Amino acid sequence: MALSGIEIYKLLPGGLKPPHPKANCKECGFPTCLAFAMKLAAKQAELASCQYVSEEAQEKLAAAAAPPIRLIKVSSNGHEVAAGNETVMYRHEKTFFHPAGVFVRINDSDGLDAIRELVSTADEYKVNYVGMDLAVDGFAIKSTGDAATFSAGVEAVRGATKRPLILISADAAVMEAGLKAAGDSKSLICGASPENWEAMAALAKSHKAPLTVGGSTLDEMAELTDKIKAAGVEDMVLNPVVTTLPEALGVWTQLRRLALRKTFRPLGYPIIAFPSQFSADSQIAAVQAIAKYAGFIVLDRFNPADLYPLLVFRQNIYTDPQKPIQVSPGLYEINNPGPDSPVMVTTNFSITYFSVSNEVEGSGRKGWLLVADAEGMSVLTAWAAGKFDAERIAKTVKSTGIESKVNHRRLTIPGHVAVLSGELEDELPGWEIKVGPREAVNLPQYLKLME
Amino acid sequence: MSKYIATRAIRGATGLVGEAERMLSQAIADKGPETPVQFPNTAYYLPTILGLTGREVSTLGDLVPLMERARSLLHPVPASQLWKPYLGETLDAGVGTLLAAETIEAVRFVNGEQPERWPGFEMGGGTDYPHLKDGHLNGPIDDIQLRSWGIQLVDGRMPGFAAIVGCAKSNEVAVELVRQLQQRNILIFLSGNVNGRSIIHQLQEEGVEMGYDTYIVPFGTDTISAIYALGFATRSALTFGGMKGGMPREIFLYNKFRVFAFVLALGEVDDLKYAAAAGAISYGFPVIADTVIPEIRPSGVTQYEHVISMPFDEIQAENDLERAKKMVQKAIEVRGVKIRVTEVPIPVPYGSAFEGEVVRKNDMRVEFGGKHTRAFEYLYMADSDQVEDGKVSIVGPTFADLPEQGAMDMGIVIKVAGRKMQTDFEPVLERQVHYFINGASGIQHIGQRDIAWIRISKAAADRGFNLEHFGKILIARFHADFGAIVDKVEVTIYTDPDKLKFWLEKARTAYDFRNRRLADLTDEAVTEFYSCTLCQSFAPNHVCVVTPQRLGLCGAYNWLDCKASFQINPTGPNQPINKGTTIDPVKGYWSGPIEFTRQASHGFVQDVSLYSIMENPMTACGCFECIVMLIPEANGVMVVSREDPSMTPAGMTFSTLAGMAGGGLQTPGVMGVGKYYLTSPKFISADGGFKRVVWMSSILKQTMADEFVQVLEREEAPGFLDQVADETICTDVDGLLTHMTEVGHPALEMDPMF
Amino acid sequence: MPVEIPKEKWTGKVRLVTLGATAAEGGTRTRRVTVGGGTTLPFLFFEGDMPHKPVIGIEIRDRKPDDWSPLLGLAWGEAMNDPGDWAKAAEQAGADAIVLAFNLADADGKAPTAAHAKATVRKVLQATGLPVIVNGPGQADLDNELLVAAAEEGAGERLVLGLCEDRNYRTIVAAALGHGHLVQARTAMDVNLAKQLNILITDMQLPLDRVLMDPTTGALGYGIEYGYSVMERLRIAALQGDSMTQCPMIVTPGEEAWKAKESKVGEGVPKAWGDWQERAINWELVTASSLVESGADIVVLRHPESVKRVHAMIDAMMAG
Repeated sequence: MALSGIEIYKLLPGGLKPPHPKANCKECGFPTCLAFAMKLAAKQAELASCQYVSEEAQEKLAAAAAPPIRLIKVSSNGHEVAAGNETVMYRHEKTFFHPAGVFVRINDSDGLDAIRELVSTADEYKVNYVGMDLAVDGFAIKSTGDAATFSAGVEAVRGATKRPLILISADAAVMEAGLKAAGDSKSLICGASPENWEAMAALAKSHKAPLTVGGSTLDEMAELTDKIKAAGVEDMVLNPVVTTLPEALGVWTQLRRLALRKTFRPLGYPIIAFPSQFSADSQIAAVQAIAKYAGFIVLDRFNPADLYPLLVFRQNIYTDPQKPIQVSPGLYEINNPGPDSPVMVTTNFSITYFSVSNEVEGSGRKGWLLVADAEGMSVLTAWAAGKFDAERIAKTVKSTGIESKVNHRRLTIPGHVAVLSGELEDELPGWEIKVGPREAVNLPQYLKLME
Repeated sequence: MSKYIATRAIRGATGLVGEAERMLSQAIADKGPETPVQFPNTAYYLPTILGLTGREVSTLGDLVPLMERARSLLHPVPASQLWKPYLGETLDAGVGTLLAAETIEAVRFVNGEQPERWPGFEMGGGTDYPHLKDGHLNGPIDDIQLRSWGIQLVDGRMPGFAAIVGCAKSNEVAVELVRQLQQRNILIFLSGNVNGRSIIHQLQEEGVEMGYDTYIVPFGTDTISAIYALGFATRSALTFGGMKGGMPREIFLYNKFRVFAFVLALGEVDDLKYAAAAGAISYGFPVIADTVIPEIRPSGVTQYEHVISMPFDEIQAENDLERAKKMVQKAIEVRGVKIRVTEVPIPVPYGSAFEGEVVRKNDMRVEFGGKHTRAFEYLYMADSDQVEDGKVSIVGPTFADLPEQGAMDMGIVIKVAGRKMQTDFEPVLERQVHYFINGASGIQHIGQRDIAWIRISKAAADRGFNLEHFGKILIARFHADFGAIVDKVEVTIYTDPDKLKFWLEKARTAYDFRNRRLADLTDEAVTEFYSCTLCQSFAPNHVCVVTPQRLGLCGAYNWLDCKASFQINPTGPNQPINKGTTIDPVKGYWSGPIEFTRQASHGFVQDVSLYSIMENPMTACGCFECIVMLIPEANGVMVVSREDPSMTPAGMTFSTLAGMAGGGLQTPGVMGVGKYYLTSPKFISADGGFKRVVWMSSILKQTMADEFVQVLEREEAPGFLDQVADETICTDVDGLLTHMTEVGHPALEMDPMF
Repeated sequence: MPVEIPKEKWTGKVRLVTLGATAAEGGTRTRRVTVGGGTTLPFLFFEGDMPHKPVIGIEIRDRKPDDWSPLLGLAWGEAMNDPGDWAKAAEQAGADAIVLAFNLADADGKAPTAAHAKATVRKVLQATGLPVIVNGPGQADLDNELLVAAAEEGAGERLVLGLCEDRNYRTIVAAALGHGHLVQARTAMDVNLAKQLNILITDMQLPLDRVLMDPTTGALGYGIEYGYSVMERLRIAALQGDSMTQCPMIVTPGEEAWKAKESKVGEGVPKAWGDWQERAINWELVTASSLVESGADIVVLRHPESVKRVHAMIDAMMAG
């Protein structure tokens, strides 16, 4: 049973009787011990942030606080990909925290020039989605069996990208050569199997690198992680052998459940997925991996037309359901508007923005769309919360310079906030406030009537 | 049950069954038992017989056992000295009558006597009968038309049907009755006669077009043809209700609750009409007669009254047309037919788009209330017969003679009646006046009760907006939005000083009464709380439990609102929660709210206390007006208002705290609440109540000053509010503790909170 | 180390719903489609059944739409000029059901009439033996007029009539009742609204085995996460035994995905978006396949290539 914030608070400096001298010291980054306790209870803070907890208290808390899926990081040159620390089966229960790292796979036999070219292209790849730059997280290099070739391949990749790497070989000697070539980055070793685990574990230990653990059954993997842990390796990633879409879905679901529901530590690690291994349609397989619990995904090829949708999908699935995606407030031009085009205003909740801009764009009519900073809420919610009021709308009108771009003073507000029209006329002297439709879908018709 | 009616109905039924038996055996003798029988335009055999007995009659022979069945339903006529409730016997007689009537019509079809021949009669739409080229009445309604009208009846565009039997007082009355029904989109079926003269004759003489096209269907000139109306009702249940033949109970209930039909019995009611009326009552269709007959008032089989007598000449009205109008109105009322009002009949545009309009002084034609005059609005409930639906009266002068930008006193008094109306809903409805009036373009409404303030713009006045239109708006909107609880609305606008004064006093007495009623409305005094799951769209596992003493955390829904909301929308987010067994009255644990919350939070909240912040506090969505949070060092709680952007002793501002309090997560020590909950005796009463408040946003202290005066009286702590710190005194724990010690805050001496 | 796999013990089950009626049931369809029956979340065969696979509807229009992506025009070609031809082409492309949607206006900008609706429905019913789903153009009055006509024309065929929405459901439900059809009940990405609409529909006596829930989805990048999660929540509620959420779900990823700029536009877009055709199909594919994983029983698609790939996915899934 998880402890409540108040129960935790009683064990923290501020909650002791009498209070510890460091009560409410703020060193943990939270304003009070109670606030910190509540964050701990919500699994949004780490106990290690407080240096003043007694050992006895630490024991009591640690059991409740250790994340059921271990957080695993791979990194290099300031780039880092983290997976794990997830707390829920379904995103609506809370949120998914660490977006799956998307890696592009290279074969060391592909030829060094080709490798360099592909990797630098993929490394530079960047696509903008609602103001965010999405990119590939790293590269995986697969050995064809020869240490020297692998070493050269890794070196070529390393030379073309600073991003983290996944090194793939079943042969410990080859792996060692690769690790050496990868330099001081923290790469993911892929990986250990029942046959080679001792040598691989030794490498992981000496390089302080995380290690994937393969197995064809959960029993086998659980046994292996225990042995590897005993050998001194804490950071592991599960690499279950799966050959079909439904098998992958089943196994991944079972792994997540075991970790979250049973706190089954031997399988409490993130998962790595190779979409092309279990489906002829690797795009669909990658979608499943993103939605259904993979922490690292290794793609077979680099193709922007595949990658862009996947990266957007990952962004969508990993959006915090309680903190919706926002677009930047400001002035958006639709279909090259002119000085006499209508001016509309909406909120910066991404879905709201998209619905409005899509409808106007689709209608073929020109328009200026003002996006007010409503803290990412939809029109009605923001209005109810006081985040989309006359003052904020007026501020948006004034700060975006729309007044110098149009030769009229007519502003259309969403029908749901018709009630703001009077107040808004006070805030914006000289402007005529028009009440638009309640739903974006009726905008084209509205704009037609306006003409 | 009237013995008189029982006697007449049973007598009528007995006669008709005898007649049916006679006709049937004659037909079998003439044509043989294998002769096919059918209504030619339906796939439901003889529909009433199919519905009530499950028998698929296709030959004359098939009808024989049905006649035995009908006879078995005939009980002896009540002996003159015996008094008992005869409803069962009468209804049986009614069913027997239906079986007999349909049998008779079927035999007549075999004999070529149906539909009724009427040379020269022209109908707009209907089944074609080649052998009756020279003119005929409608006979049964065909399946295609049944589906087409059925869809409209089921989706509500057509409120119901009226079966008119007999003959009206005059042709003029006949036409008016039909027009009144047509205006309301009610389907009209005609049959029967009085001394050979039928309403069908009357309408034909007046040139009223009949047929499917005009929604007026002449079945036949005898009472027996009224069976087609019940055949239509039966087929509706079979087609749209998913019923099968032989499910009489289900078919009756379907019609009672879903087919809003009634019978208008015009002229003298003979035995046969009594018997047929008994059949209609089984379907839940009440009978309204324009002659003196015994009434059957207690409801049961029909939704409201069974039989109503409205002697035509005694209806209080200026003339016969008005009487006809009132009769239709009464019928609609008795059946509980709801008419939809779609348009607000005023000379300016109307819609929620105009809600926020401001009418500035310069643009104003006239104002009521505000600085120099007074306006009030008062809604009360009255008995149905005291409310004339749709009526607007103006008592006193209008603003026509007032100068531009003038001002005058005005009172809007709204009288409503409804079978589901309750006095408790009066304030809930009255508050809607603000929104309703604001919807008119060029009208501005602020405030409520006796501090209302209304302006009419010049533009609106120029377009003809006057006092009467306030009434029109209110009547239309109350019907449209609150039709589930309001049947009739009448509005009187008072500008006459004496009358206004009189009504203002009445209104104030009512406001006072309501205030006291609210104060008396305690959690202990009720058996049901209400849920609010409106916010689950963004906080999927959050459930508000709204009690009389704990309003919704958004401040928008109190217990009465939820109660009314449930009446209006029984499937909506406000559901009654039976309190169940009391587990702990101090902390506020009841089995009902716990079970409801468990289920509606999808298992995320296992237990909920209604009066504690420390133990299983209620969750919050994110709409809360205030956040209450434990300050452990101070042994009390702080209350932060949504409107307060400053730092608090918890080290967090409102917006940071909101992340902890919201999202449907149960976090002991933090709670989102509505600000009026602060004044409730049940405010964290398990943890020590209002005296636990050690810090409160100053804006709350200011805006709630009046309300807090009463709280302090209750708590017998007159100077307490001065002991509560705010952001102007301190924004950290140390400052708070210093302040508390200085002023001697009582929380310091109270039991530890945990 | 033997690992005990935790299995969900759901008490609920998705209701079975059959679209289309063959001659034996009083219709003229040559194939019926049954969806639902699942006793666990999609494809988790280690703990439950999924007796009927998710199916694909292909959206066709009463006339060639003016605002569809040119890529769709290329895919369907001449067939788009006639709803009958289009329905045949859709059947050949692998549709399990035909979704006939009416445009808001005809080529002259006039609203379609009841007679037009009847003629079009007749044409489609004659062209294909598949079950047919009929959607109005999305304006209450017009929807009601067209759908009542469609219901009449297709009496006995077990059509699906849509869209029933909380603001406009009564006439459509009544038409379904009167002529033996099903309804598509759409609500705006909200579990409680979906439940509420189902309560209202059942209140009108339409049994729940004639209701498909349409919880609405956004396209990839345009709110798919809402649709995805609402479907997951609805399905979990159904499995937990909440009767009003136990209807199979239908969603329209095709319509949503092809509204997105990413699929509609080929020029003047960032190079990082990649090849237009590939990307556009991917947009529909990613939207649809993720919704199939979150509980969709019927996905309505537009492009034959995505149809092919989603079919392959479903077949792979069902092979278990």
